[in-house]
Amino acid sequence: MPQTLERTELRENTVLNTLWVTIVWNDPVNLMNYVSFVFRSYFGFSKEEAEHKMLQVHNEGRSVVATGPREAMERHVEAMHGYGLLATVAKADV
Amino acid sequence: MRAFTVEDDGTVSAVLAIDEVAILVDLTGQISDLLQENPQDDDALRRLLPDAYPDDRAASAEFRRFTAPGLLDRKSATASVILSTLSNSNAARAESGLGAEAPTIVRLDPQQAQSWLTALGDLRLVIAARLGIVKDGDEGEPGAVMTEVYDWLGYVQGSLVEAMDQA
Repeated sequence: MPQTLERTELRENTVLNTLWVTIVWNDPVNLMNYVSFVFRSYFGFSKEEAEHKMLQVHNEGRSVVATGPREAMERHVEAMHGYGLLATVAKADV
Repeated sequence: MRAFTVEDDGTVSAVLAIDEVAILVDLTGQISDLLQENPQDDDALRRLLPDAYPDDRAASAEFRRFTAPGLLDRKSATASVILSTLSNSNAARAESGLGAEAPTIVRLDPQQAQSWLTALGDLRLVIAARLGIVKDGDEGEPGAVMTEVYDWLGYVQGSLVEAMDQA
């Protein structure tokens, strides 16, 4: 039935639109070992992963550190601001 | 200063000269005032509460409206941990009968260490904003007292991270 199809399409669009990311940006103040420490203690990243993400921030200017629903990403960004890191919320590139 | 090192019981400790304690108390007091005054147009405060949605002013304002009170409260709380632990350390030093110029031993449990870590970071962010350190390579005015304090705070925070890593 066309009506059902439309509804399904609508729902799929909504699902795709709800994927968001947490981005941490490079800044000249926060120490590299501090950023790595925050990634490990807050996100539970392994030492290697935390180091990788930290270097991404340092060398490429930014790193996506989490993906998920908008509310969860906003909680992460709030936590990152608590640690003094520059963090933003954005829609994920689907 | 003797950098932070980890002890057998999981605490971390450092030895601070009396002048270094005075600097930390003074700066932390200033940041506590700034957090309580909460001036909206202050560069340093903007850096402590950055835009969550750089391309969307309304969404950033909304995010700040919901998160700023809690963030400022928590930042004030971590700053006050620096003041209370230094005050305890000073009291312990006085009781030990050492002279007024004797260095202060600061010993922090894991929770206090976490507070010091973030509060030192906030201090550095505020000073960096005052020094105009906004992009990689900016170093503040060479030789200026505040630049030296900023670098020293980086040394203190860096040594604390290293010690906590080993705890």
